[in-house]
Amino acid sequence: MPVVLTVDPRSGVPIYLQVIEQVKRSVALGILAAGEQLPTVKQLALDLTINPNTVAKAYRELERDGVIETSPGRGSFVKSNGVADTTKSAARDVARDAFDAAIREAKSIGLGIADVRTLVAESISRWFTEEL
Amino acid sequence: MSTLTISHLRKTYGPYTAVNDLSFEVPEGCVFGLLGPNGAGKTTTFKCMLDLAQASSGSVLFNGHPLAPAAFEKIAYVPERSVLYDWMTVGEHVEMQRRAFASFDVKAVAELLAQFGIDQRKKARALSKGMRTATMVALAIARRADLLILDEPTSGLDPINQRHVLNLIINESARGATVIFSSHQIGQVERAAERIAVLDRGNLALEGSVDDLKAGRKIVEAIFPSESFSLDGIASDARIARLDRSGRIVRLLVTADANEFVTRLEALGGAGVRIVDLNLEDIFLYAVSPHDATADVVEGAAK
Repeated sequence: MPVVLTVDPRSGVPIYLQVIEQVKRSVALGILAAGEQLPTVKQLALDLTINPNTVAKAYRELERDGVIETSPGRGSFVKSNGVADTTKSAARDVARDAFDAAIREAKSIGLGIADVRTLVAESISRWFTEEL
Repeated sequence: MSTLTISHLRKTYGPYTAVNDLSFEVPEGCVFGLLGPNGAGKTTTFKCMLDLAQASSGSVLFNGHPLAPAAFEKIAYVPERSVLYDWMTVGEHVEMQRRAFASFDVKAVAELLAQFGIDQRKKARALSKGMRTATMVALAIARRADLLILDEPTSGLDPINQRHVLNLIINESARGATVIFSSHQIGQVERAAERIAVLDRGNLALEGSVDDLKAGRKIVEAIFPSESFSLDGIASDARIARLDRSGRIVRLLVTADANEFVTRLEALGGAGVRIVDLNLEDIFLYAVSPHDATADVVEGAAK
């Protein structure tokens, strides 16, 4: 299955971080399955029209984070041992970034800890109805 | 091996200094973007790299050695202005290159020209500005050079062919070639280049990896309850590249950890403190002197 990644080069977020975030998100969502092969560095660079070294840098960090593994000559694959762990930690990374952004925003517009806690609790009860 | 090292390069034309004390390195396999307003010295820098203009002082080393005639076999150059002969057909230009360079790939150039929709039987004079650029790019790519120096390689091309040229640059880099190119389209440089240098009136205003420049430069903005707020201890911080104060709002361009400045502005009574990411165009505009920057962006957008 072809990997669907998009980047916004005009964003202030470095492109390699966008690639890392999207691969993690794809793993967390199961779009990329365990053992699945990622595009080669050159192929992804051409697909997205971004610098190959930028892609290579993203792959290196994904490997260090235990999300993918690269075997020389064969390519890069979503790590197969401990898929559950990888998926869970990838999901955590994605969610953590979203929480961070939301809470930073809440703080910047003047909300205090108590307000933020209330909002988070409300959010949880809205989305986890069956578990409460 | 194809590392380019520029040290203290200076080029004067009479009383006019086109390039002043320019130093940077283009590592092997890197795509390097050279940015700058018109007249900033980009083309002069390219010419000095190739010995087409004699540097007034300083040096350009290719793999650690001054440029020797043998090195030209491994360097492909696309100048800013067309160097095609009006009376010759595209096919005759191909033949000329084939005879001149042993590594010239005739099959590749035929494919590239076809992709650009260029008929090899056409005389150069019958080509549009964009098609001349595309022809020169195709001839340069087919050289299978170790180092490509491309002065405005997307100039005059439609968006589809601009994207095609960017992918050719990426492909060259992926096979290990070093590419240095200039463009007024900052978005293109942001995509294809790993490192950039910004020239402003002949001086190096900024140099580094695009990712590092983005990660290391943030705007921290805060709103204060009244206009008479104090910025004690912040205003003099060397890590603030620029401070804009207007009414109750202050915007800092910081080159350090932005979170630290969020905390400090909040401690001084700032509210609504937020961190704003900068894209390459913002970074470029902050790096060059305001008058030139405005003129350049307007012209770049019109192209």
